[in-house]
Amino acid sequence: MSIPSSFVRPTTRPDEIHRLLTDVERYNPSNTVLLEDYLARQCANPDSTSNHDLMANLALLKLYQFNPEMLDHDVIRRILAKALISAIPADFNLCLYLLTDEVCKDASIAKLLALRESLERAQFVKFWRDMYDPEDEEEESVVDGIAGFDNGLRKLILAEITATYQKIPLASVQDMVNLDEEAVLRLAKENGWAVDGPVISLPAKSEVKASVISENVKFEQLTKMLSAANDI
Amino acid sequence: MYQETYDDEEFVGNIDVVADSYANADEIEDAGDIDDEELLLQAQAGVQSIPEQVRTFLGYLHRNLQSGKVNDLTYNYEMQFPRLSEKYYAKASWPEPQYVAALVNDDGLFLILYRELYYRHIYSRLHPSLEIRFRSFENYCDLFNHILNSDGPTDLELPNQWLWDIVDEFIYQFQSFCTHRSRLNKRSEEEIALLKENSQVWSTYSVLNVLYSLIQKSNITEQLRAQQQGGDAAQVAGEFGGRLLYKMLGYFSIVGLVRVHCMLGDYTLALQTLENVELGNSRALYTRVMACHVSVYYYVGFAYLMMGRYADATQAFVHILTFVSRTKQYHQRQQVDAASKKAEQMYALLAIAVSLSPVRVDENIHAYLREKYADQQHRIQRGGEDALDVISELYLFACPKFITPNPPNYEAEVVEPQAYQLRTFLREARLQLVVPTLRSFLKLYTTMGVDRLSGFLEMEPAELKNQLMVYKQRCRQVKWDGGSDLLSGELVPSTDLDFALEMDMIFIAESRVGRRYADWFIRNANKVQDLVVVLENRQKDTIAGKPKVDAVAA
Repeated sequence: MSIPSSFVRPTTRPDEIHRLLTDVERYNPSNTVLLEDYLARQCANPDSTSNHDLMANLALLKLYQFNPEMLDHDVIRRILAKALISAIPADFNLCLYLLTDEVCKDASIAKLLALRESLERAQFVKFWRDMYDPEDEEEESVVDGIAGFDNGLRKLILAEITATYQKIPLASVQDMVNLDEEAVLRLAKENGWAVDGPVISLPAKSEVKASVISENVKFEQLTKMLSAANDI
Repeated sequence: MYQETYDDEEFVGNIDVVADSYANADEIEDAGDIDDEELLLQAQAGVQSIPEQVRTFLGYLHRNLQSGKVNDLTYNYEMQFPRLSEKYYAKASWPEPQYVAALVNDDGLFLILYRELYYRHIYSRLHPSLEIRFRSFENYCDLFNHILNSDGPTDLELPNQWLWDIVDEFIYQFQSFCTHRSRLNKRSEEEIALLKENSQVWSTYSVLNVLYSLIQKSNITEQLRAQQQGGDAAQVAGEFGGRLLYKMLGYFSIVGLVRVHCMLGDYTLALQTLENVELGNSRALYTRVMACHVSVYYYVGFAYLMMGRYADATQAFVHILTFVSRTKQYHQRQQVDAASKKAEQMYALLAIAVSLSPVRVDENIHAYLREKYADQQHRIQRGGEDALDVISELYLFACPKFITPNPPNYEAEVVEPQAYQLRTFLREARLQLVVPTLRSFLKLYTTMGVDRLSGFLEMEPAELKNQLMVYKQRCRQVKWDGGSDLLSGELVPSTDLDFALEMDMIFIAESRVGRRYADWFIRNANKVQDLVVVLENRQKDTIAGKPKVDAVAA
């Protein structure tokens, strides 16, 4: 299974941004505006296969690192939230490396870090509870303004479930993706899962059997022997 | 013997320029009061104090630089300079540049290069003051101005080792300055004032500017790309890039940039910078200077490690460590010493990578690792807080010195980029630790109930299920497939253990590596064949009546 790498140029990246990233222009502080606009467009796009341009976001974070007076916490929050649901788990950390302690003390960013903790430990129930905490004083959720966040997240969780489980109780799936029974049944049908009463059977995986990695002898290794054999 | 050639006025003028110091200098406080006569006497005394051997050395160096004899320069630089440093200047600095000026007839370019060596020596043996740091930066500006901003390419030719050392030292002094600057509690009031006043000295932008300009001027990226595609590099090289000095400086600047990006925490950009440098090619330009070769792999491996691509990091480290251990005898002592230090750091990083994501490594490396870090590896695999302590210890020993790109806020708290990077890395590592611990248990069974396993691990079944999911996620990493883009790769399973959860039962499957006969047989068959050939030749010699030559033991 190969997931498109975060680092190959995505087809949705416009030329001017690409030029910016590959040139010395990426250090020019006035380009933060361009990159912030691009981020806004990414956030507005709900399609999760085409709405995450990690390299551009990292370039923006780097500009903030060099020009801390231009730092915008809201922008950082959105970049981190996008990285959270990216298919590649290392993306979030890569963004973190370009920040500093000070930035991480900001309330919404700290909350995102905590949420990420639960997500990484696969404590999905806790995650949903914390994210949509009814007692939260903030009016906006910490992932506000990002189209398709919930769906992207569910996709991620489902991928993990399919990888790990062969059979799983329906109730567990409901808890993990924070949907009611009907929605889960719909999902099951979409993905071709067999629902058998309260238990869902996922399609059998081919990898789960003991295999012996046998040796692979390359032809080049035999050339010396063969040529010697020929001489005799 | 050079003394008769110096010109009085010129010489005195030179002293003034060099003595023009910043507010802090106590050396020539009464510069206005001392008259020319005394300065001259001082200068003469200074020149006299230079030992004869050193004077001849400087003479040779000057002559060779002017005539462009690179081979002789290599001898001067790699052999004589370290020997003389050891002999005469082990605890002191080389003669002041103004005295050397007399010996070389004020050759500006020579003096710039001499000063570079002079400051480099101070940095390595003595403790550089703020004054020295500022002056050294100015000297670098002079040097790079001459190389980059003259009307045409300079005629200067230097050996590759020297060029690499210039770039390497430039970045080292930059990093040293940043660390020095951020240790606010040790800085005096006047130093802080000086720093604030001269904020353009050793600024991140200037350093980056130099590196990028060198790369652009030499068109090195175009050259490398042309070479990769099988075309002719000389066509795209341009006026500057065609000269070896510029080409090598451009190339070394690429490696320098990788280093700077890693120091700033931008690992993806670091790997992207190497996009046209072929990492597996044994004839690539970086192999010409050993320190450069080691540097490239160290930073690549480190970047992969921080990105969570432990398999790729392991591969990079193992590659360079085998290279270093195999070629130790072919290089000079100081190069080997420098490489060994980096190698030690890489072993520590390798220990971390291998403990977090167990893979098979080459026999020799594995043996050395076991010998040195066996204890640490066990502690990491057992998990828990102790594991994190061990990882921190190894990490802090081996990581590059991180810097912040801006001058610190002089009134506020000290910011430690080192600690921050370590903590962020530890978050990843903490999760990755799930892999070795779970793996050691799962290895023992083919099926196991969740309850039983949770009993062993002393955790709730629900929590265990979560951990199993994490394990599944963590055992897939992106692995570089050998292309030119270091950042690309495929998601592949990185452990040999796989499982599936059915309700509350875990079904485990382990893939084993079968016994490998072929390599052993081939190697020995070739050995026997060689032996047979030697014996046959011996026989032929005896028949032909030739005297017996002692054969080397096979």
